[in-house]
Amino acid sequence: MPAHYEPAQRHWDDLAIGEHIAAEEFPLSLYRLCMAASATRDFNSIHHNPDFARAAGAPTAYANNTFLQGMWEKTARSFIGPAGTIRALRKFTMRSFNTVDDVVTVRGEVLDKWHDTDAGVALIRMWSENGRGVSVGPGELEVTLPLRGGAR
Amino acid sequence: MTPQPEPNATPLTDLALASTESWEKQWDPVIRAVGSQISTLPGEWGAEKVEATGIRRWCEPLEFSCALHYDPSVASAHGYADVTAPYTAITSFSLPPTWSPGIDPVFTTAGRDAQPTRSPVAALPLPGAPATTGFFATEVESTYLRPLVVGDQVKRSGMRLISCVPKHTRVGRGAFVTLETEIVDQNDTTVAITRVTLFYHHPNAESGPTEEKTDASAL
Repeated sequence: MPAHYEPAQRHWDDLAIGEHIAAEEFPLSLYRLCMAASATRDFNSIHHNPDFARAAGAPTAYANNTFLQGMWEKTARSFIGPAGTIRALRKFTMRSFNTVDDVVTVRGEVLDKWHDTDAGVALIRMWSENGRGVSVGPGELEVTLPLRGGAR
Repeated sequence: MTPQPEPNATPLTDLALASTESWEKQWDPVIRAVGSQISTLPGEWGAEKVEATGIRRWCEPLEFSCALHYDPSVASAHGYADVTAPYTAITSFSLPPTWSPGIDPVFTTAGRDAQPTRSPVAALPLPGAPATTGFFATEVESTYLRPLVVGDQVKRSGMRLISCVPKHTRVGRGAFVTLETEIVDQNDTTVAITRVTLFYHHPNAESGPTEEKTDASAL
């Protein structure tokens, strides 16, 4: 059985506003962007053909926005654990290209937390950085985490 | 990239060379349509049902190893009927095929940069809009009602025009257009609502206020 990672389960009760989540790094290569094109089914040539991307005005091939969204989800999932859910993605604003040769670092911070009728809810500020600064966001993920005592 | 003007669209030269006042007015038909269903998508089903192999493939370039996306027993322990797809994969699973039986050949030209004649990630045509040669996504917002699980099949249902704001940016003259669509499952139940803002533009216009170029894919 492959060693699938099951992150430790965090509970809503233990969240602290201002708490930072562990950052994740994503080094970008053309190889990886080709895999991402296949995985996301976004075969637009700008994402895997450097010359085509340059003709369209980009420095070189760059990551597609679905792949960039997946970076946020992977980073957040490590924090919220398998019992957590994602309700919404907001302000996922793409500010600059994330290209071949970039290392994209995704970071997050707990902005707020509250009780819903059936869940513990948190708002996490998320953003991506590359060597030139913030490239995506800052935006938000609205997530739920389990409550201690078993309610969800 | 050879520009392909939309039917009844203002010729490219007019958009590029028109005065400031007149080029913005060329977007008036789109602005008047704000709030309406554009219905530019045929409502095709996503190319594939949600399956464990597709989820695995989606996770692979991210090195995303959460067991929810691989292990049915872990997914079941957390209340899901089967392995779940990451929430952000929903767009990928909603994309129609580039080709399928019954569709005319799409790979008709050889060459490194040759494009298929049909693409589910091409720019969405806007009725009445002036012709443009470039587009890119600038912002995405999604509400997820539930994650997809193995066995689901989804499609985009409808396309509502939320806003259209003409703007002259560093990359050219065009408009920021926000579109909203619902993604529904095989039971016609909404599983997600997505809004995407795209900048449709003609890159040969004069330089304008600084705006970053961003991802040139439409969802």
